[in-house]
Amino acid sequence: MADGLQTVKNWILERHPERQDIAPDLDLIENRLIDSLSFVEFVFLLEQESGTAIQMETLEVDSIRTLAAIGQHFFKAPAEVGRA
Amino acid sequence: MPARPAAPPAGGLGWANLGMDIVSVNRVRGLLAQYGERFFERMLTPGELADCRTSSGLDVLSLCGRIAAKEAAFKTLRVRGRFLPWPDIVVRRSEGGWPLVELHRAAAEMAAASGITEITVSISHDVDYAVAVAAPIIAPTPSSSSPSNS
Repeated sequence: MADGLQTVKNWILERHPERQDIAPDLDLIENRLIDSLSFVEFVFLLEQESGTAIQMETLEVDSIRTLAAIGQHFFKAPAEVGRA
Repeated sequence: MPARPAAPPAGGLGWANLGMDIVSVNRVRGLLAQYGERFFERMLTPGELADCRTSSGLDVLSLCGRIAAKEAAFKTLRVRGRFLPWPDIVVRRSEGGWPLVELHRAAAEMAAASGITEITVSISHDVDYAVAVAAPIIAPTPSSSSPSNS
């Protein structure tokens, strides 16, 4: 797991001490691990860890629905996502 | 997981799906301490932040009330797969002190798609929490318009 994604996972776990781990395919929204207010904080964290500016208004829920999706959208190596 | 029952859509004659939200003052105070005002600049417009300001700085209860009102208003839209478009649901203090909801850009599009023309909201707060309840104003359909309105 990329360091940035691990930081994201740790950030969620710190806010939900009742959980020991988060499966890559666990739905973070359905399981109420991210709500509207923490979403804004979460975007701050994602921008910091991924080095990418994120437009909250256009962000699709599915892109942060699971840790696997977050890894896919924000922490793939540049070559893997087709960037030059 | 068993199939869930289908809820009525946001609009439609006779329906007014309410939205409600509660915001913890401690939580918001913690965010303000950790990130400063810039955190809330992504959620509130300059005008909304000005409404929350007193001579001693940002009033956290007012801030919580605005946040709760935006979330409550968003809930009336019943949109799937989207996050709250924070700057597009604007809650201003009107003449008289009542909150007034303005819908812009994405929020206005979501409302229009649901047949909602406006959203009315009420906010309350006391020490530790702010709450807000919102109700949509549904656009009249041709069949529901009275002859005097035509």
